[in-house]
Amino acid sequence: MDAQFKEEVLKLAGDEVKNCIQCGTCSSSCSTAHLMDNSIRKLVRFVLEGMKEEALSSQSIWLCTSCLLCTVRCPRSIRPKSVVAALKHIKEQEGGKNKDQAFEEMFMRQIRDCGRVSEFLLSAGYPLANPMATVQIMTMGIELLPKGKIDFHRDCVRGQDEIKRIFEELKEG
Amino acid sequence: MKLAYYPGCVARSTGKEYELSTRAVCSALGVELEELEDWNCCGATHCSNELLAVGLAARNLSQTDLPIMASCSICYSNLRIAAKRLEDHQVREKVNSALDKKYSQAEVKHVLEVLAGELMGEENQKKIVVPLKGLKVAPYYGCLLTRPKEGMDSPENPRMLEKLIAALQAEPVNYPYGMLCCGGPIFMAEEDAASESAFRILHSAKAAGADAVVAVCPLCHLMLDAKQRALENRFKEELDIPILYVTQLAGIALGLGPEDLGMEMNSVSPTRLVEEIYERLAAETEC
Repeated sequence: MDAQFKEEVLKLAGDEVKNCIQCGTCSSSCSTAHLMDNSIRKLVRFVLEGMKEEALSSQSIWLCTSCLLCTVRCPRSIRPKSVVAALKHIKEQEGGKNKDQAFEEMFMRQIRDCGRVSEFLLSAGYPLANPMATVQIMTMGIELLPKGKIDFHRDCVRGQDEIKRIFEELKEG
Repeated sequence: MKLAYYPGCVARSTGKEYELSTRAVCSALGVELEELEDWNCCGATHCSNELLAVGLAARNLSQTDLPIMASCSICYSNLRIAAKRLEDHQVREKVNSALDKKYSQAEVKHVLEVLAGELMGEENQKKIVVPLKGLKVAPYYGCLLTRPKEGMDSPENPRMLEKLIAALQAEPVNYPYGMLCCGGPIFMAEEDAASESAFRILHSAKAAGADAVVAVCPLCHLMLDAKQRALENRFKEELDIPILYVTQLAGIALGLGPEDLGMEMNSVSPTRLVEEIYERLAAETEC
């Protein structure tokens, strides 16, 4: 039982997570549940039992699409999607990098550095972290380029200092 | 009506025709759009730090006194979530300490809400110069247009798209996956999972007899339109179903041309559909 881990998730995702009755409404609403190693209900249980290793190593947290249906339906007003976000956040703080994490990091780094996201730079850079994505990115590029839908120009915000300050001051969550 | 327009990052690249058609339709309806000053990315679904996500959204929300209109469902949902979280005094104080212009309050709208307000109801019928009679349209809500709850429509059984489709005199098609997530947020890293969802939506819309699907979010559109050929190859099934942005669909009914609505940028060409609409209209006028 890792009590510190449990408290950290509750701080990030809300104290009401403790009210979970394990009814499984979240799991049965989830569009990717059938592909998950641990259902979202189980992830919440891992958190409440302080089972840090099991929670953080679950591939399920990377299959969440953030669609919020679990959050809409939870009869105990828990936000299961926020539990997933908290797990991702803790994993990011602890380092380590899988292909899913690499994408989230690249995405957020672009915002921190420029204030906006360039889909072109994201698509160009991501295969370095996940070579498996190369084919689909190339296929997409071939589809979008003749339509004029790839923007090679990077448009950044003027308020760079403010963006940096937001990242710095709110990093604890 | 004057609104601050928050385009979002995708509007300048893969969602270009959404931006183009949004501006064209709003202009045709006399809705004045003023681009939100120095807007930044909302973090989409990739910001695991929820307070940071509120901070990023708050910077956008504090740039104007006008109601803010987003066209991307993800941006829209994030702005809404942030406005709600910022009602909490502690959150607001923490976030405001990092902002140049302090947040006080904001009104957030989605372009669908604006279109519904301008086009639905008896009094607006005269604006529909090209009725979309005979066109069967599958309403695709996706996830974040109506979530979290307390938004523009029910998160379980929304009807706004059906009502708008009917107001344009097209026929809304009933199919089971109008609210299934398109998989977009995870398509880069988890292609298999995302493709499965997108295919299921297209397959069911097609099976229900839809001529087109209407989308309200650029990421949904990308998954259903730009990736449609790849999905056909992967699942060995011909789909060939045009995916129109809600602004493109409304634009056709307002009599705007394909170039005003960026229709040459759609991957699955809607040209044939538009021609059929005009052919039916011509046949009716002759009678």
